[in-house]
Amino acid sequence: MGLYRRYGISAPAAALLLVSFILVPLAPGQFWTHVSTEILILGLFAMSFNLLYGYMGQISFGHAAFFGVGAYATAMLFTALKAPDGSIGMLAFFASLAVGPPVAALAALVVGVFCVRLTGIYFAMLTLAFGELLYYIVFSWYSFTKGDDGIQGLLPPALLQDPVNFYYLTLAIVVAALAVMWRITESPFGYVLRTLRDNQRRAAFLGINVRLHMLLAFVIAGFFAGLAGALWGPFSRSVSPGLLGWAESGIAVFMTLIGGAGAFIGPIVGSVIYTLLQAVVKMYTVYWPLTIGLVILLIVLFAPGGVLGILERRLRPAAPARAERAIAVEETRP
Amino acid sequence: MDFGPYLLQLFSGLSRAMVLFLLSAGLSLIFGVMNILNFAHATLWLIAGYTSYSIFTYLGEQLGPSPWLLLPAIVGATTLMMAVGYAIERFLIRRMYDRELPEQLLLTFALVLIGGDVIKLIWGTENRRISLGIEPVEMLDTLMNPYHFIIIGTGIAVGVGLWLFLHRTRFGKIVRAAVYSRSMVSALGIPIPTIYAAVFSLGVGLAALAGGVFLPLLPMALGVDHDIIVQCFAVVVIGGFGSMLGTFVAALIVGVVYAFGILFWPDGALAMIFMIVVAVLIWRPWGLFGTEMRF
Repeated sequence: MGLYRRYGISAPAAALLLVSFILVPLAPGQFWTHVSTEILILGLFAMSFNLLYGYMGQISFGHAAFFGVGAYATAMLFTALKAPDGSIGMLAFFASLAVGPPVAALAALVVGVFCVRLTGIYFAMLTLAFGELLYYIVFSWYSFTKGDDGIQGLLPPALLQDPVNFYYLTLAIVVAALAVMWRITESPFGYVLRTLRDNQRRAAFLGINVRLHMLLAFVIAGFFAGLAGALWGPFSRSVSPGLLGWAESGIAVFMTLIGGAGAFIGPIVGSVIYTLLQAVVKMYTVYWPLTIGLVILLIVLFAPGGVLGILERRLRPAAPARAERAIAVEETRP
Repeated sequence: MDFGPYLLQLFSGLSRAMVLFLLSAGLSLIFGVMNILNFAHATLWLIAGYTSYSIFTYLGEQLGPSPWLLLPAIVGATTLMMAVGYAIERFLIRRMYDRELPEQLLLTFALVLIGGDVIKLIWGTENRRISLGIEPVEMLDTLMNPYHFIIIGTGIAVGVGLWLFLHRTRFGKIVRAAVYSRSMVSALGIPIPTIYAAVFSLGVGLAALAGGVFLPLLPMALGVDHDIIVQCFAVVVIGGFGSMLGTFVAALIVGVVYAFGILFWPDGALAMIFMIVVAVLIWRPWGLFGTEMRF
């Protein structure tokens, strides 16, 4: 319980999740392994979004742009390196995985320089506009990106074509990424971000370079979104412009909100719920958007703070819930 | 030089601009008064378009086809959607005013998903369009659909009407006052909840009107609302939140740039629009005609 006292609901939730994730491939058939890989990749994407939302207090509606840029960077190098018969060596495969995150971070740097000058609704609009701009560029630049056709045939090396092996690779990468993100959010830098969330003006009075810290967070978030994107290509064997669109950005927002933006591990929990629900609902009906729409509606109306927020309030009714503090973004505009 | 194709593009761009204006005017009004960015605005517009289609087809079967049946169809759909808008404000949005911006966005985002599937449930996945059977007229050696003039006329008439409403009527003045200071309006004893419900209903009504008017030009199809809403955001951002004149000018810019963009760079027309949005947000985040007040 000591860990719980210090880190809130995230510590027991993370431990429980990690054990379940390790055990998933024991389930019969490959279906659950496949779904779990998707949970991890999209969960990492949502985690990177929550660096900006839960910690820095700004909502980005164009975060999928960096997910998509990472996916495309990896897919393009992958296509360039693979042999004529479609196979790819281990080294070339990891090289193409490695190129996604830095390219996405670079894109986030260019976009971020402009976005961090704004806050609130204007930040949301500018990230949305940049996201759509990048989407339409990828969509229409056929000679470079293959446009609407997307890039197919991203078959990983033979060893990793086995879903279980690819799943454990994904698990290892995501856990490592989360460890780094945890370190970042618990560092002085992470606490500066919380200050920016709670009161930007006061942060500026304290001598904090507001824009520089926002830009750094934006680039870091872009980097991890790019890492998730890099994994997405070999996982789904293809990439398409839709990965950059605002509907994809919405997925990260949904997951974060369902799980709880106030807990470190919240977006992953959200990804588990969202992706599992999607996999199950889609077996029975084509009305998945209606289902998830109603779920979001109920959560927004009755359970702000998400699933972990509710749990935490149950477990620790006296203390102010982390979830509530996290979403209490101070209005900085007069 | 042959101006025909350019003239055609200009008029189709202006028609598009009018629809974007009707939608964005409501969006901007709702945001200006109650600080809610309604992601579902274009979805409600699409539902109104489908509803107009159904009323038009039904009346056509009962009374025999006539282009004039579009009028009762539009009036019916607009009335219905205003009631729907009132209900959405009363039962959902009203609970969200003291919440944070992201949660408000998510609520309307959820309505986009629900609305899309409601359309699928009621009207299926087929595209719906109507034909008024109006003969094209010849202008400068090009065949032009005269319906463009009706749309442009409607857009200008509604724009002028909206301006007169906001500046010359008591209710309109209250609405504008609420854009400046909600608490002051409330302190003067004006019931804010009534104003909110009315403004939301009015905004949705404008969108519904646009849906019906545009029906003969553009088939109603699933997913169109996703494209239109980001273009409406583009219009509102370029023009400036809360400025009617700005919204009108920005709608003209977006509509015409889109129409000519398609002519020269078919796939990149929307990329051009978002370049403009990005430029405006960087240079003047409060928009071309907005004030720095809200910024």
